[in-house]
Amino acid sequence: MNEQEYYVSSGTYWPIIGSIGVATLFVGFANQMHGASWGGSIMALGFAILVFMMFGWFGQVVKESTSGMYNSQVDRSFRWGMSWFIFSEVMFFAAFFGALFYARQLSVPWLGGADNNMFTPELWDGFSATWQQIVFNTPGATLQSGTAVSVPTQLVDTWGLPALNTALLLLSGVTLTFAHHALRADHRNNIIGWLVATIVLGVLFLGFQITEYGHAYHDGLKLTSGIYGSTFYMLTGFHGFHVTVGVIMLTVILYRVQKGHFSADNHFGFEGVAWYWHFVDVVWLGLFIFVYWL
Amino acid sequence: MTQIIIIIIVAILIALGSGLLGMLRGGSSGSDKMFKSLVIRVALSLFLFVLVMFAAFMGWIEPNATMMAGSHT
Amino acid sequence: MTTAIAHTDGHHSPEKGLMRWIKTTNHKDIGSLYLWFAFTMVLIGGAMAMVIRMELFQPGIQLIEPQFFNQMTTMHGLIMVFGAIMPAFVGLGNWLIPMMVGAPDMALPRMNNWSFWILPFAGGILLSTFFMEGGAPAFGWTFYAPLSTTFAPDSTDFFIFAVHLLGFSSIMGAINIIATVLNMRAPEMKLMDMPLFVWTWLITSFLLIGAMPVLAGAVTMMLTDRNFGTAFFDATGGGDPVLFQHIFWFFGHPEVYIMILPAFGVVSHIIPTFARKPLFGYSSMVYATASIAFLSYIVWAHHMFLTGMPVAGELYFMYATMLIAVPTGVKVFNWVSTMWRGSMTFEAPMLWAISFVFLFMIGGFSGLMLGIAPADIQYHDTYFVVAHFHYVLVTGALWSIIAATFYWLPKWTGKMYNETLAKVHFWWAVISVNVLFFPQHFLGLAGMPRRIPDYSLQFADFNMISSIGGFAFGASFILFTYIVIDCIRNGKPTDARPWEGAKGLEWTLEPKAQYHSFNTPPTRALIEQESQHS
Repeated sequence: MNEQEYYVSSGTYWPIIGSIGVATLFVGFANQMHGASWGGSIMALGFAILVFMMFGWFGQVVKESTSGMYNSQVDRSFRWGMSWFIFSEVMFFAAFFGALFYARQLSVPWLGGADNNMFTPELWDGFSATWQQIVFNTPGATLQSGTAVSVPTQLVDTWGLPALNTALLLLSGVTLTFAHHALRADHRNNIIGWLVATIVLGVLFLGFQITEYGHAYHDGLKLTSGIYGSTFYMLTGFHGFHVTVGVIMLTVILYRVQKGHFSADNHFGFEGVAWYWHFVDVVWLGLFIFVYWL
Repeated sequence: MTQIIIIIIVAILIALGSGLLGMLRGGSSGSDKMFKSLVIRVALSLFLFVLVMFAAFMGWIEPNATMMAGSHT
Repeated sequence: MTTAIAHTDGHHSPEKGLMRWIKTTNHKDIGSLYLWFAFTMVLIGGAMAMVIRMELFQPGIQLIEPQFFNQMTTMHGLIMVFGAIMPAFVGLGNWLIPMMVGAPDMALPRMNNWSFWILPFAGGILLSTFFMEGGAPAFGWTFYAPLSTTFAPDSTDFFIFAVHLLGFSSIMGAINIIATVLNMRAPEMKLMDMPLFVWTWLITSFLLIGAMPVLAGAVTMMLTDRNFGTAFFDATGGGDPVLFQHIFWFFGHPEVYIMILPAFGVVSHIIPTFARKPLFGYSSMVYATASIAFLSYIVWAHHMFLTGMPVAGELYFMYATMLIAVPTGVKVFNWVSTMWRGSMTFEAPMLWAISFVFLFMIGGFSGLMLGIAPADIQYHDTYFVVAHFHYVLVTGALWSIIAATFYWLPKWTGKMYNETLAKVHFWWAVISVNVLFFPQHFLGLAGMPRRIPDYSLQFADFNMISSIGGFAFGASFILFTYIVIDCIRNGKPTDARPWEGAKGLEWTLEPKAQYHSFNTPPTRALIEQESQHS
């Protein structure tokens, strides 16, 4: 397409399909939580509609892109879009990290009577205002909602799986960087090798993460284990979700590399996904440091 | 030790953000900037990981899981 | 002008029928959809306000159950904030920004379609909660935990998902506006050439992208607290209900500037036009807007002075809040200075804009009063707060939306509205809105709490006055609707530049702006000639 002309897109059905999909998904989910037996199927239907929409919409964009309908201005619009989308993701994680820091540094010490001694240090027998052990030794305690608190028998392991997983994910950052380098140097075969390695490392990470959840759950650390369990599972859970999305995106990129969609100097699809992966990687590093160590 | 770790994390975030700006700029200069920043962020991350492991091994920091006894009051 | 008009109907004209609106990727179509959606929501939320004022007309429980009253106040707030004001501004942004920066359309037109078409689904889910067991959410639009977690009806989960959807929509809309302003701007237009509506919307977009995901995080924590036994906001599990307020207001305070910054932009267009002078202090306006946006992120806890906070925190948040008065004062000074010795005329848009400056200032000053931590102990959660935020949101944000409607309606339709009726409408609305909200200051200072269906006898007179003003103000929307529809149907055709003092690239387009605004970017000469600050 001519660099001087503006690209004007044709009409599209995909957004309305996406809206129907995401609304169906949410309505199904809400009903599922309220105990409707059909909620799960509605949810699955909504999810299927969403997947269909993504295939269709992204497929159309990829097709238009490879047939040369986009000029460099459209490319820059995509860059702006992806960058600020990722920034919104950063802010989403910031909310959960904020909750973690607030609980760690302020509200849990306050519950223990720090600073002003206005709060009782004894919320219940055996209450300890120590991070992680906040609900230890408190059999029979219930939350305000009436849910019984799940009391862990063991602390979360720091050295074993989490350290291994950190190493795996950091290594995937390295392999991705090699793939990136290979792409920029136009070494097609090397790109594919390093990309496959990245994907494998990502999948291994997810596998070990599930194993670790299994161990923690077995030891009684659940979402219902007070604020520690809540922040632990929500932060690592949302991170795991993002790793899953990242693995899927990397797989798509692998397919597109094989199809020859990218060139050494024009590969925004790759760059966007690569940056996303680096972001997910850094979030994990933050999790590892702040949830497990400091 | 904690401060050093946090400083490195901030540095990683800066490198990551600089990579984002490179991606935003596009073209060959942006592509170079993105790649260099991401190399820095990977190197720093690896260094931080090794540092944390080493500091823990030396006993300079402790995982929050071992702050077992006593309470903060 | 010449280059633009030569390319009318460049690539394709709109399709016909319903599918045009569902499939559209055109910024004008989508802008219109947003505006009509927002208008529908104003009527629905306004109907709820009428119910509230009817119940409060006299002391005692008159018409509705207290529980239903709480549903009314909650849903009125949510619908007006998320369904009316925000979509209306996105609609204005969609319509105007591509025209103002000399672009053919928005940068990401398909995503633009999606960010609108999520809204009806979100609105539908939100409104459907009325028909569920336990009724709609009744915990106030700020949905503080534990009211919204432990003690809320099941329908709250639908409300949570509706907020998620509204958040998606806002974030996509904001991304689109950033990409449009920074990437689709005419190559000859520098950042400091941009009209102020574009500047304020650009800065608002950054607020949206920073704040909406935090809201999504807050409602997600609510969702898991309600359904999966987490303890984020539950002290019995080591969490803290105050944490909810911190996260909510970290979103909530930028949110109020999201709703007012574009209004500042609109007013900065209308006042120079009818004062027939360039805008006074253009660059200080830009810097003031940016400062307000920055400050909005670091003052959130002034909404929580009575929740319990270390004294150092109260002091910090109080002083930081006071600081906002400085850039806001710069803006008001500039608007007044623009009018100084101008040859002013008072067409409907100008009337709305001047009353905006005056009435918004009242809201701003009552905000300053609320920001003083020791004084806030008296004002907190009273009708004074209600009066304050209705002065900034109704006579601020909504006022500017109505002003913008009259100002740009000729460009949207190619026709002129009925000026006489518009003046009648203005005086009707401006008098009734003050009868409605001004007495609420007195009620609050005398101690009437907000969000109650019944009150003690000493508040009766002011409440009755307020209700009468409310019914009159509500009725003014019938006239507004008539004027707009009459303009679309029977308005007299206008020139491309119906206001002789108006500057801006949008006025160089055809009387009814063509489907794709600029197919060739405007020249440097044209941009300078149409600049706001020459």
